Amino acid sequence: MLEGRPATTTPAPATHRPALELVPRQPAGATGSSARELWLAAHFPRLPLEALLPMAAHGRAAAVTATDDPRRPIVACNERAARQGIAPGISLNAALALVPGIRLEERRLASEAALLDRLARWALQFTPVVSVEAPATVLAEVRGSLDLFGGAMALCRRALAGLQASGLQASLAIAPTPRGALWLARAGLAMTVTRADAMPGLAARLPLACLQWPEDTVATLAGLGIQSVADLLRLPRAGFAARFGPRLLDELDEGVGRCREPRRRHVVPERFDEQLELPAAAGTAAELQPALGRLLQNLDAFLRARASGISAVRVDLRHRGHPPTRIRLGLARLACDMGHLRELLRERLAQCRLPAPVVILRLRSGVLLPLALRDASLFERGRSADPEATARLLDRLRARLGRQAVFGVCPVPEHRPERAWRIAEPGGTTPLPGPWPVMRPARPLWMLAEPQLFDDWDGALVSGPERIETGWWDGHDVRRDYYVALTRAGVRLWIFRERPPGQGWFLHGIFG
Amino acid sequence: MSDALAKLLRHPALWRGGSVGDAPATVSTGFRRLDERLPGGGWPLRTLTELLVASAGIGEIRLLLPALCALSAATPGEPRWIAWLAPPHLPYAPALVDAGLDPARMLVIQPRAGLDRLWAMEQALRSGACAAVLGWAGAAGDPALRRLKLAAEEGGSPGFLFRPPSHREESSPAALRVVLTARDAGLDVEILKSRGGRPARIDRLLIH
Repeated sequence: MLEGRPATTTPAPATHRPALELVPRQPAGATGSSARELWLAAHFPRLPLEALLPMAAHGRAAAVTATDDPRRPIVACNERAARQGIAPGISLNAALALVPGIRLEERRLASEAALLDRLARWALQFTPVVSVEAPATVLAEVRGSLDLFGGAMALCRRALAGLQASGLQASLAIAPTPRGALWLARAGLAMTVTRADAMPGLAARLPLACLQWPEDTVATLAGLGIQSVADLLRLPRAGFAARFGPRLLDELDEGVGRCREPRRRHVVPERFDEQLELPAAAGTAAELQPALGRLLQNLDAFLRARASGISAVRVDLRHRGHPPTRIRLGLARLACDMGHLRELLRERLAQCRLPAPVVILRLRSGVLLPLALRDASLFERGRSADPEATARLLDRLRARLGRQAVFGVCPVPEHRPERAWRIAEPGGTTPLPGPWPVMRPARPLWMLAEPQLFDDWDGALVSGPERIETGWWDGHDVRRDYYVALTRAGVRLWIFRERPPGQGWFLHGIFG
Repeated sequence: MSDALAKLLRHPALWRGGSVGDAPATVSTGFRRLDERLPGGGWPLRTLTELLVASAGIGEIRLLLPALCALSAATPGEPRWIAWLAPPHLPYAPALVDAGLDPARMLVIQPRAGLDRLWAMEQALRSGACAAVLGWAGAAGDPALRRLKLAAEEGGSPGFLFRPPSHREESSPAALRVVLTARDAGLDVEILKSRGGRPARIDRLLIH
């Protein structure tokens, strides 16, 4: 807990505390105690924009719109757009009216989360204790690192310079509590507060918006005439908790340092990355096998210790005087079986042409995934006898024959025969609901990739015509009369004539 | 048959070609006349069947369709793959649906090189993930066919290998060898070799 805190600010039973004082309790002249923790908050007000258009800061007007609101309000915009009157909160129509040529993108939460994740990793250079506050803030406990970076101000300047260099707009603040730093950063107050008890004194400068409380709560508070955090702190605790819930009261206490806030630390996902210098340069794929085997053994131990599997591996082969050969191997399923992996890599290595002997072998894993979660989707569908066997087969075939050589087929509801199917990922198609309506004559089991001109045929028409005349709307219209023909060799064919009769017969399918 | 002959036939030291071991595991072909002539009453499972087809498209797939449907739906809730290895044309999804097959369980494999075909077929048979493997391979020597048969036995999947009838006179380790010839809108099926059965000929099997 915080040191030297005046006894009066200790959270007493709420019923006995009609109001909270907001002025620093420290008598004038007394030196403020320095905080035990110091939190740096970096808030990114334009994160939705920066996540989508990293280079849009200086270009033409651009903005990102929310997707969960029918008004499609703007959530972030760049400098140019802001100068022309665009601001977060205005509707899409209003934005278009203000700046007709504005570039608009739809918000993508996944890329925002990914960017925030990268920023959290970047913040790890200042301290090992980093925490992410969604949607747009990164917190870092920097008390222990201040001496290294030359004080709080210097650290802030350094961090800001780094962020600006990557084209990100950030507002940075340091405060003794994580939530306090968060408020300051959100409010855009670039301050370094190092005294443990200084937060209540700053509360008057913190608007309600920096709390990011639910909209109706903020509206109710505004209706009560409350405009800043200082006004909030003046409210009776019991009444506040009864009206808005104890959680918001806790937030207030955490912000001003009356109670400690536990924070979840950001943990960088682990990956396997090892390299091996070969004792002698290897000129062929076979000579690489022992070294690869050793790396795979290490990977096996690594995965076992973490009860994890991987869905991709990369192998880099470094040569002397040549750029490295890179092999990326994606797996159909989460793998933790090195025998399978070794076999796949052997196939891939056998295929790649080495420009020069290999001197260093490097093996990297993709993200580790917990094995307990594996196959959830496959088991749920229960469509495969042994998912493991299927995945192995697909991996093995694709490793040697290439990805495109192995595929599935999927029917498409369409009258034009050549468009009534498509190539699909094996097993990736969902079964059709109910039986396919068979209202048409039989179709051939074999389909030619392209109809072939088919003039010299010897046989008889068995059935037909089946007229297919459709597709005029997309420029690939079809006007054909299909017949089933039986050749002298006993082959049943599906042939057609264009309408009006012109070029003659075309072969389109074989009944097989 | 005289009593003496019947007694002799029951002698344990006497080995008769028609009753080797247990009846082989089979799946009905869907054609009664054909089932009657095949040992076990259908296409043998867990082994290799060779179909020598005079010209592609005479009905070789329609002959297999009833069995394919039965195989892919054999275990309720757990249908396996039907692998098409280097087929001469693409299997047409709407026709597969018409025939009662689930197109989502089709696996088309199109290797570029001829050697890869046999390799891929062996992998598919050995994996145990396939309800049936249909393969088109031209030149395949006896060792290659033997490998395919072993893979089918190991993986427990039936393999159907389509070849031109020019290979008729070559020896083959396949458990069943069938020659298909089109005649008068029907299909003549000639059983060249069947393990535990005898050569036979079924004229004008109507498959349409």
